[in-house]
Amino acid sequence: MNLNPLLLVTFLPAVGALALLAFKPAWKSAARWTALAISLVTFGLSLWVLAQFDPSIGDMQMELNLPWFALAGNPIGFHIGVDGISILMLLLTTFLTPIAILSTWKAIYENVRGFMILFLLLETGMIGVFLSLDLALFYIFWEFTLIPMYFLIGVWGGERRVYAAFKFFLYTLAGSLLMLAGLLWLGLTYGSFDLTTLTQTASISLNAQLWLFAAFGLAFAIKVPMWPLHSWLPDAHTEAPTAGSVILAGVLLKMGAYGFLRFNLPLFPQATLKLAPWMGIMAVIGIIYGALVAFSQKDVKKLVAYSSVSHLGFVVLGIFALNSQGISGAILQMVNHGLSTGALFLIVGFLYERRHTRDLDAFGGLWRVMPVLGSLALIVTLSSLGLPGLNGFIGEFTILLGAFGSTALGSPWIAGVATLGVILAAVYLLHMFQKVFLGPVTADENKGLKDLSVREIAVLAPILVLILWIGIYPKPFFALMTPTVDKLVAVLQAASVALH
Amino acid sequence: MKFDSIFDLVPLVVFLPLLGLLINLLFGQKLGEKFTGITASLATGLTFVVSTLLAFGLNATPNPEPIKLFDWISLGSFNASWSFRVDTLSVEMMLVVSGVGTLIHVYSIGYMHSDVRHNGDPARYRRFFLFMNLFIAAMMILVCADNFLMMFVGWEGVGLCSYLLIGFWFEKGKDGIGNAEAAKKAFITNRIGDFGLLIAMFLIYWNFGSLDFGTVFAAAPTVAATHPTAMLLITLFMLLGVTGKSAQLPLSVWLPDAMAGPTPVSALIHAATMVTAGVYLMARSSAFYALVPTAQTAVMWVGAVTALFAATVAVAQNDIKKVLAYSTISQLGFMVAAVGMGATVAGMFHLVTHAFFKALLFLAAGSVIQGVERGLHHLKSDVEIDPQDMRNMGGLRKQMPLTFWVYLIGGLTLAGLAPLSGFFSKDEILVASSQGHSAVFVVLLIAAFFTAFYIGRQILMVFFGEPRSAAAAKATESPRVITVPLLILAALSVLGGLFNFPGWLVMDHWLARTLGEGEPLAFLWSVAEISFALALFGIGFSWLVYGRKSLPKDQPDPIQKGLGPVYNGMSHKWWVDEFYGLIILTPYKAIARFFAKPVDLGVIDGAGNSLAAATKSLGTWLRRFQNGYVRSYALWMLIGLVAILTYLVLR
Amino acid sequence: MTFTDFFSILPLIALILWALFMLISGLFVRGKWGIIHPIWASIGLILAGVLLFFQIGKPALAFSGMIGVDGFSLFLQGLFLLCGLLTVIISPAYLKRFGIDHYEYYPLLLLSVSGMMLMSLAENLIVVFLALELLSIPLYILAGIARPNEASEESSLKYFLLGSFASGIVLFGISLIFAAAGSTDFNVILGKVGNSTIIVPLMLAGGALLVVGVGFKVAVVPFHAWTPDVYEGAPSPVTAFMAVGAKAAGFAALLRVFSMLFKGQADVFMPIFAMLAALTMLVGNLMALVQTNLKRLMAFIGIAGAGYVLMAFVPFGDAAIQTHSIGSALFYLLAFTLASFGTWAVLTGLEQPDGKGVDLQDLAGLGKRSPILAVALTVFMLSFTGIPLTLGFWGKFYLFRTAIEGGYLWLAIIGLLTSLMAAYYSLRVLVMVFFTRGEPKINLTYWTSFVAIFCALCVVVLSFVPGELFDLAGRALFGA
Repeated sequence: MNLNPLLLVTFLPAVGALALLAFKPAWKSAARWTALAISLVTFGLSLWVLAQFDPSIGDMQMELNLPWFALAGNPIGFHIGVDGISILMLLLTTFLTPIAILSTWKAIYENVRGFMILFLLLETGMIGVFLSLDLALFYIFWEFTLIPMYFLIGVWGGERRVYAAFKFFLYTLAGSLLMLAGLLWLGLTYGSFDLTTLTQTASISLNAQLWLFAAFGLAFAIKVPMWPLHSWLPDAHTEAPTAGSVILAGVLLKMGAYGFLRFNLPLFPQATLKLAPWMGIMAVIGIIYGALVAFSQKDVKKLVAYSSVSHLGFVVLGIFALNSQGISGAILQMVNHGLSTGALFLIVGFLYERRHTRDLDAFGGLWRVMPVLGSLALIVTLSSLGLPGLNGFIGEFTILLGAFGSTALGSPWIAGVATLGVILAAVYLLHMFQKVFLGPVTADENKGLKDLSVREIAVLAPILVLILWIGIYPKPFFALMTPTVDKLVAVLQAASVALH
Repeated sequence: MKFDSIFDLVPLVVFLPLLGLLINLLFGQKLGEKFTGITASLATGLTFVVSTLLAFGLNATPNPEPIKLFDWISLGSFNASWSFRVDTLSVEMMLVVSGVGTLIHVYSIGYMHSDVRHNGDPARYRRFFLFMNLFIAAMMILVCADNFLMMFVGWEGVGLCSYLLIGFWFEKGKDGIGNAEAAKKAFITNRIGDFGLLIAMFLIYWNFGSLDFGTVFAAAPTVAATHPTAMLLITLFMLLGVTGKSAQLPLSVWLPDAMAGPTPVSALIHAATMVTAGVYLMARSSAFYALVPTAQTAVMWVGAVTALFAATVAVAQNDIKKVLAYSTISQLGFMVAAVGMGATVAGMFHLVTHAFFKALLFLAAGSVIQGVERGLHHLKSDVEIDPQDMRNMGGLRKQMPLTFWVYLIGGLTLAGLAPLSGFFSKDEILVASSQGHSAVFVVLLIAAFFTAFYIGRQILMVFFGEPRSAAAAKATESPRVITVPLLILAALSVLGGLFNFPGWLVMDHWLARTLGEGEPLAFLWSVAEISFALALFGIGFSWLVYGRKSLPKDQPDPIQKGLGPVYNGMSHKWWVDEFYGLIILTPYKAIARFFAKPVDLGVIDGAGNSLAAATKSLGTWLRRFQNGYVRSYALWMLIGLVAILTYLVLR
Repeated sequence: MTFTDFFSILPLIALILWALFMLISGLFVRGKWGIIHPIWASIGLILAGVLLFFQIGKPALAFSGMIGVDGFSLFLQGLFLLCGLLTVIISPAYLKRFGIDHYEYYPLLLLSVSGMMLMSLAENLIVVFLALELLSIPLYILAGIARPNEASEESSLKYFLLGSFASGIVLFGISLIFAAAGSTDFNVILGKVGNSTIIVPLMLAGGALLVVGVGFKVAVVPFHAWTPDVYEGAPSPVTAFMAVGAKAAGFAALLRVFSMLFKGQADVFMPIFAMLAALTMLVGNLMALVQTNLKRLMAFIGIAGAGYVLMAFVPFGDAAIQTHSIGSALFYLLAFTLASFGTWAVLTGLEQPDGKGVDLQDLAGLGKRSPILAVALTVFMLSFTGIPLTLGFWGKFYLFRTAIEGGYLWLAIIGLLTSLMAAYYSLRVLVMVFFTRGEPKINLTYWTSFVAIFCALCVVVLSFVPGELFDLAGRALFGA
């Protein structure tokens, strides 16, 4: 028999985690290398998936649908598959995980084995979220990701780690539980928990759609996070260990945005159309608000965390532009944010490992002391503030372009105000870069800091390559998603016709 | 090879500088300063050669097809590719950028050699040339882009280089952070402009269905007919972008601070090339502006007012580079005004000549500054004097004769004395304004007078009279690698007028191929006489104030008494920065803090936490019923029973 | 007494005889031979289990309709035997440490188990009452077995007083129903209900009294107040047993009586159950939030659990989903049983003779001290919260499903929100276990750890086959 590649890529990390259980706690570097190897193989597998993926068709591919059990006569299946949207998320996940693992070499020295086990379990969970095509299965993976992340924050986090871990867990769970209710109601009312079946067969009344949109949307909005549900994010980001923050920002937040794309849009298209302007407005508030709050942070990590609120605002705006530019831009921006913010957290981590502080005022003039880090940090910062020629711009521009002319959003004002975010991003990011890297070296502790090691450069290098690649030649990335997005847009257009 | 395929070389204008950058990035460190400087200059020089070839190519084939490199973004109906546009307008810009660029690169080899040592970090020599080459590449992308989006890449790319080079000595300046602050200010101010440009692009796409120059400009008339408001908005938002990049009011504030960058940067980026990008953009989009008179008027007035405003400020500056900075803003105002009046060619002509003489002035100023620094170094005394402050100079024409002569040429060109190039280019603008825009005409004339006055003042303060500091007295002439580019630029400033000499109008015909045939501006003796007279008068007046007797040391500026409060306003740049600080910066910080503390931590975060707290306290409250007495437990059971029974009865 | 009669209660008979035999044999066993009692007890329970196994797939009505063997009763009897066995396993070490290893302990346990089994078989109100007493009386004694420990005696006394009060109410309820229908036999009464020759008001009043009486056993708010005190005072293994077994038995009675006798009046009782369920979930979880004593915490977790089970039972009258309703109730009972038993096993290891050691702080550092138990504890807590990959998740999944199917979305929502509170106190435990440094005093015996790990494994592994498990639990009641 031929093994389904998706099955392999999903569960290989979990298998690796089990293997690590056999290790002695003392075998630290062994655990590190094994985890790294496993995550790299997983990445290789995801490339294999990419090789088998046919971008020309927008349907689910490499589907695997094993009947699991029946719920009130409605079969619940282990149904996974990949399309133009999920494959990018899959690649993002498998790409960032080894990088995150490699970044922990010096940072994690206590109970390395446990850390790696949790990390690999987390990877399986995330991949599962992006690949599941069954509501119940999706929910299981979705909830499961909470557990490893809770422990990663709680055990290896900073001083306020317990508070942060709690907040992270409870906020997310609060949303998810409502989603569970909606999910059960949906599945029981329309006789299936299978996404593909539901999208094809279920004809849901507008009223029901609105309720379900709310139930699902709340869970996703908290995860994204959308203003004003974001207050778990700064704490979680700040207290999590570097690798945790990287995955949190890089992948976990995307689960929310992905949820909107995978469930709310295709399942509740009419509700989506009705609510699009409101979602757009919330997104814009998030963009401006996040930028403003980020600007007045003293803690570098907090600053980056709030910048995520702003950046994800762009993503949501793009999604609810509901046209091909907006949605494609949003998907690409999900990848971009994963790369640039992930890199930013890595950089903050490097600084923290050297200085054991994240206070902006403790730094200054580091470009002189650490030229390599300074230059790399500059590129990452520029990508994050959307400088043309780097990845961030492509995403933001397409999103804003789509949103500006979006009939769903109804008014160019929303995009217009959002565009102000481009200015504000420059304000807080350059403020950060200046505080850390420019000016004279004020603190003596900073005088003797060592520049990046080869390993640390190796951690950042792959991200930088992609930052440039996407910035200059994003075509292959768009090519992957376009057919899928077009189908989605077609569904929505049909719905809008039905609505009017 | 077929001759028209010469245009396939155009990508080189971007790739050559990048190649130089790459080589220096990889080997610059090992192979040392000479290698780095020469590689960078060579890269730019070759770019100039390519541009020249393209120019010749254009003589053979007037309007070649754009050269498409590869697709960039294509989503649904939206398409933007990396494709280069070779036409007279873009090639003219290429020639200016790469030509002046090369000279400045060569100049920098010498200038930066001593600059990095003066600032105590020789290792940064290479970084300078990396940024310079990057700038040339970005500027080339800007001028030879075939669609607005690609142009925007260059547009912000040059902004980035400007940011990096203003902050080149990021640990220097006021409180050690001054330069970095200046850099940030420049970038953010430009971003405000870019916001306008972005909106303009969105409007263009959703009204034209494309961002390609060819398609868009061809369709302009029809759209202008159908969607006049859209066109108005497009042009106005574009104007916002222009005010950012070309330092026009109200976004002019960043350019003076940008002088924090090394002098070659001020010459190349903040005088000759980048800041003229706005003028280029409007020349490129003249098809739009021609259709929207309202926008044209706006543009014209923005330019005119800026020209006058900056000229007045320049009068009262004492920093040698600040004077030139405001002069640049003012001259850009002339160009913008010209484009606003539809005299695109005049604007472009002035752009070119200005590139020559302003680059010359800046580089010469750099030579002066380093001369003074050498003097300062020679003294070996720890007296800290600002080598850029003209009040510490004087009488330098003896120490630095060559610099003096080229500076004089540059100054007179700026002042607009015939037959120097500046005279002709400015004259065209004045002629254009004299035809139906009398108000603007007057404003520009006044500006011209002030121009002559402040440049005269500068020359007199720097080169004449007695040295007002020991350093000035000990200043020495600069090496050849610095002076030779100066001489070339001086020659260009003198002869630049030939490019569009009345009667021949080379540039008119050349640009007509791109901008379409327009009625060339006639040469009006009346106007010429007025402007010539004003220039002489301005210079003469400055001699009366500063030249007659050598300016005494540590005395207030002679005109201060005469002008009183007006002078105060001029020297404080009419408090524009303070004004912005009051209405923008302070409120912004306050709002940000308000959202961060009371709103985010207080309300939003508080909501979640207090909900949790409330739930817990509810639990604590319930505890009171868990008092441990059997009787009360039994009582609760009874209450429950009674409740159920009553329900059954009342049902 | 026909053979069917005999066969239908064979496991019960075996267990009771075994108990009596142990009571006598115990007199002659002394000193170090004491270890033999738990072994005997386990053998007895296993034997009963084997006998039970032979009844699978052989539904029968016995003793002229007083006893009903069906999937429901089989499932529950199995559950009870499991409880008994696990209790026996965790007891010896604990009793030894506390110096209370009286041999009567095991026979009493067995008798109580048999009472529970009888409860699940009962198809006659008299039998129900009989079973209720048979399971309760030994528990009264067991709760106080730690005398002269005051806490233990107090708990025993409280349990006895309130328990008999409840029994009284039950008896009263039974008599009212008898008055209403002139019989105590389910099927007879069913018949009368069918041709409506009953006095409805009396019937309803009787039902109400039964609700209260049984509600006491399963600790439904507001009849729950005894649990924390009793649980805290009683020896941990006993608490474990009553917290799980007695609760399950109570539900057995509730499910059988109402789903059979009161089908007709479902619309009357459903709102009552809904209210009780909502109240129980809220109060149970709210108070669990603020507990610092682990035994009391478990008591409130148990109360909350009762609320969830009750929620599944709310739409019992809806014939279409009755199997779902009972199935999910039993399913959750199983999940709850395993998770709580595992937790209790850990607690027996923690509790000190002076009553100390069961505070939240005492868990600090358990993660380092004995990682495996810590992980097990994590599994249980996540199961109580209802996080995927634990049985608890599917348990709640089915519960909410039933509530939503039955049109009680609001109840489901309450259940979901209270799950959020559950998350909070579960996480608090984990914070202590993993995120806090400390040196926990824990007396681990091989057997306690075994029980904990066994339960943890069941909770996780079984969560991969929820369907099969549900079918097992969802077998229709006999005659229902």
